[in-house]
Amino acid sequence: MNRSFGLNATLIACLCFFVVLIGLPFWWVVSGSIKIPQEIISRVPTMIPQSFTLQHYQKLFEASDYPVYLVNSLIVAASSTVLTLLLAIPAAYAFFRLDFPGRGILYRTILLAYAFPSIVVLIPLFGLFAKVGLVDRLPALIIVNVAFALPFSIWMLRSFLAGVPKEIEEAAVMDGAPTLTILRRIMIPLIAPGIASVGIYAFVTAWTEYVFASVLILSDAKRTLPVGFSGIIGQYQIDWGLLLAGATVAILPVVAIFALIGRGFVSGLTEGAVK
Amino acid sequence: MADLVLNDLHKQFGSTKVIKGASLSVASGEFVVFVGPSGCGKSTLLRMIAGLEKATSGTIAIDGRDVTDVDPARRGIAMVFQTYALYPHMSVAENMAFGLEMAGMPKTERDARVRQAAATLHLTDYLDRKPRQLSGGQRQRVAIGRAIVRDPKVFLFDEPLSNLDAELRVKMRLEIAKLHKDLGATMIYVTHDQVEAMTLADKIVVLRDGLVEQIGSPLALYSDPDNQFVAGFIGSPRMNFVDATVKRREGDALVLDVPQLGLDGLPVRPRAMPRDLPGALVLGIRPEDFIDQQGSFRVSLPCNAIERLGSVSYLYTAPGDDKTLIAELKGSHPAKVGETVAMSLDPQKCLLFDAAGIRV
Repeated sequence: MNRSFGLNATLIACLCFFVVLIGLPFWWVVSGSIKIPQEIISRVPTMIPQSFTLQHYQKLFEASDYPVYLVNSLIVAASSTVLTLLLAIPAAYAFFRLDFPGRGILYRTILLAYAFPSIVVLIPLFGLFAKVGLVDRLPALIIVNVAFALPFSIWMLRSFLAGVPKEIEEAAVMDGAPTLTILRRIMIPLIAPGIASVGIYAFVTAWTEYVFASVLILSDAKRTLPVGFSGIIGQYQIDWGLLLAGATVAILPVVAIFALIGRGFVSGLTEGAVK
Repeated sequence: MADLVLNDLHKQFGSTKVIKGASLSVASGEFVVFVGPSGCGKSTLLRMIAGLEKATSGTIAIDGRDVTDVDPARRGIAMVFQTYALYPHMSVAENMAFGLEMAGMPKTERDARVRQAAATLHLTDYLDRKPRQLSGGQRQRVAIGRAIVRDPKVFLFDEPLSNLDAELRVKMRLEIAKLHKDLGATMIYVTHDQVEAMTLADKIVVLRDGLVEQIGSPLALYSDPDNQFVAGFIGSPRMNFVDATVKRREGDALVLDVPQLGLDGLPVRPRAMPRDLPGALVLGIRPEDFIDQQGSFRVSLPCNAIERLGSVSYLYTAPGDDKTLIAELKGSHPAKVGETVAMSLDPQKCLLFDAAGIRV
């Protein structure tokens, strides 16, 4: 396709604008985390660090509870993701394939879960978890995260399943494959991009969840990163270097998961667009 | 190899009746082709035989065993889909072996079967490739290979060549014919392509609106159709139909006036002489039955379009109109648009239909 120079220049300008818009805060956080405290709070901000230090990272890992929060968050986010996928894949396949009364209505109503602000269910959930002894325990957060990620995950995976040509499934039926084998051997590999997308979605929501983690977890040793980390911001002063180093480390798992399954995520999105 | 008997099959989707009573018996080793216009139910009927659609009523028997309610995989049939329906994430070998694996066949035996089928279909060099790395023709061969390895009693083909280009279609058509000869298996084939139907079939089943219109050998359907629909559907270009009035009976023929062709006293032999002389009939003339030479029954057709294909030319009296007459002329005929071409008609070859379209 031949594009005029003007159009090309406009596209590149737009691209640069968005790269700067999205990249600048990241750069500010990452570069700030290796500056000495005086440079971070200097009157004239420096885009390129004039100093280099790892003191904030040292303090983060040696003098704060950050490593504990990090591990807690990893446990909660990874478990939530795995559990969400384990439940969403069969549920989506059931919505897609099984013919049961009320399927259409049920499928449409699951998204109603998002019609209520999550804060509405916070107090009842606390009461419920208190009764079954789940308050101040990580499984409480996992349950909440899975419950909130599931409707969208099911809804999304079902549309990915619907994108698989019917004949492929019929060919498997003709080949004598039982339903679960069709799901495991044929459908799951074919909707891998969708599974990657849902996996990332579930991980990121669990990783950044704040409200429930701040209420359902009471002891400091069980806090997740968003809540635990907010405690680092003191009441009277803010240790900016520590904050920026913590934020940088908090980004890493998300970056890693994108790098690991990001290709599937992207191709999944484009596949969804053309089908 | 197995015989197949369909007995009064019906299929209904909601209130829509798609198959309205299909009965058919297919002998062991026979090649049967289902043809009919879009929406006539030919694919549905094939899918019912496969077990992918449940029959509303009626029975399907393979080798004498009632399989109407048997799982698709346990019917002893294999199906080749129009879209190939290969598993995109599996290699050619895995695609072909999947059904055998599901049947619990040991790996060594599976591999041997796959290799043998691959050799038959010239796929040996491609066994490790993924479907996306193959051409359309190769993918179609893999789909056929997937059916062959299972050694089914009956092969079902659902418009298997319609996604291929013209040249490849001819090639694959010949390969399927050869395969049928080599395997001697019972095959049922759905197509809307006349040439595929005429060249491949031992027996053609013409369907319309969920009903079997006629069953017979390709040439029998061509030369001796039961009704106007089959006469019009089989043969390309289609048969011409013109209104005629019956004047009298003369021996074993009916003498007709055909005003549209300017013909008087055309004697056409009916299939069976009707007891009462009908007033009006429809005369069916194949395009090739207009003869480009002197004869007793001369007709003049206005040439409003002409298609020259080299060996033959087709003259159209009213192109684009359903009522156009089409005449086949030998070679590259010199007729020009706007001219009138004189031909003659052989009444021996004409067919007669009544107002309801039933052959007279």
